[in-house]
Amino acid sequence: MSENIYIFSNGELKRKQNTIYFEVKDGNHKYLPVENIREIHLFGEVILNKDALEFLSQKEIILHFYNYYGYYVGSFYPREHYNSGYILLKQVEHYLDFEKRRYLALKFVEGAISNIITVLSYYRRKGINLESLDKINALYQNLFYQNTIEEIMAIEGKVREIYYSEFNKIIENKEFIMDKRSKKPPENQINALISFGNSLLYSYILSEIYKTHLDPRIGYLHATNFRRFTLNLDIAEIFKPIIVDRVIFYITNKNMLSSRDFEEKLNGIYLKESGRKIFISKIEEKLRTTVFYKKLGKNVSYRRLIRMELYKLEKHLIGDEKYYPLISEW
Amino acid sequence: MCGLLNINMAYVNGTLIASYFICKRELWFMAHELTPDQDNSFLELGRFIEEDYYKREEKGFIVGEMKIDIVKQGDENVIIGEIKKSSRSELTGIMQLSYYLMRLKEIGIIAKGEVLIPKERKKIPVELTKEIEEKLRKAIEEIQMIIMEPFPPKLEKIPYCTHCAYREFCWS
Repeated sequence: MSENIYIFSNGELKRKQNTIYFEVKDGNHKYLPVENIREIHLFGEVILNKDALEFLSQKEIILHFYNYYGYYVGSFYPREHYNSGYILLKQVEHYLDFEKRRYLALKFVEGAISNIITVLSYYRRKGINLESLDKINALYQNLFYQNTIEEIMAIEGKVREIYYSEFNKIIENKEFIMDKRSKKPPENQINALISFGNSLLYSYILSEIYKTHLDPRIGYLHATNFRRFTLNLDIAEIFKPIIVDRVIFYITNKNMLSSRDFEEKLNGIYLKESGRKIFISKIEEKLRTTVFYKKLGKNVSYRRLIRMELYKLEKHLIGDEKYYPLISEW
Repeated sequence: MCGLLNINMAYVNGTLIASYFICKRELWFMAHELTPDQDNSFLELGRFIEEDYYKREEKGFIVGEMKIDIVKQGDENVIIGEIKKSSRSELTGIMQLSYYLMRLKEIGIIAKGEVLIPKERKKIPVELTKEIEEKLRKAIEEIQMIIMEPFPPKLEKIPYCTHCAYREFCWS
């Protein structure tokens, strides 16, 4: 069973006795079980040398870096090990052919909105008055008449705006009031949670892409801009409501966080280390939660659902099976 | 023709022969370098068995596009061995070895084969017969046809799916 390692302390990460070793600045140290690590998330100030990077590359371990504010900075993506020129060509073909690209962009947004509806419907069943669901349903119907990627994205933007405005009704703790979604910087605690959660989700998906033949640089909804990874952003749209947002509702409604877990910096609100640790432990729990997958005939974790979403995309690209996004029924 | 692949006789290797007798869909994936999930526990177990047994023998011989697990000198002829996890893959092992024997014969080497199932302490001798050779020629022809198809063969639930590293790919 492979696990994710999160490093908050400052120190040095090195190769030692054929495994990975983390030396904390204050003199403490810890051996990390290299065979069981899937990825390492670095939040602290960490010193690394090439020897360590080479070793991590050999063990196919991805490093995800976050800045002081908990924002995703980038990843050390070891030399691709599942290379398939065939899949790469197919990925490009589906990007360059506009109709093919539109199909995928539409499906990602369809998944995103459907899952938003699933989440909202759950709270409506619990007795919360969420009248915006009808508005979202109407926008969802409209989605299929949009011709350009920009129009598709605009529908998604509108749905999200309405959706976020409902957060105040879902989150009972009035310490967490959300006026509007703000990113750079997040202006309140909920925005800080959303930004942090999305950052984590992007890196988890990137790690899963690494285990497939897909190239993370070619996305369909988020334009490929030749520099950064975009496919993980596309896939994240589907999973944000059912992974990140649900974790946010859970930890706020269970009063697991308070304003002491946040801090104000550079006119923005950010999660402190204490808050990040709580968030990470809950999102990890979510990723390990299993649900029954009918077609496969067995239980799979949310983490695995991400991988399977990528498999579905690969199958679509090679013309085996048309891609339909995961629409959560639970 | 999909135009992306240039396939000729030399492209057919032992793995493709084995896949042909297990699942034609797997065969198509393998030929397109769509390697299966390397974290799959059954694959890991297979790799472990291959490494852990027959430590005294020389392993991993590459002859052309063939990768032969074990080669040793018998009383008369050279013996080549193929290591398998369980008797479930006995038949595929036989066909795979027969293919190697056939290719070796073409370059003038007469050898014998053994399917080795260390966990069950089984050793199945394999000799190239006229019938098997005929079967293999037909298989090679058909393999090339399948590979050249633009799409993989349709999904089909077979007993092999349970232990297959493509399981989640196919059934996602």
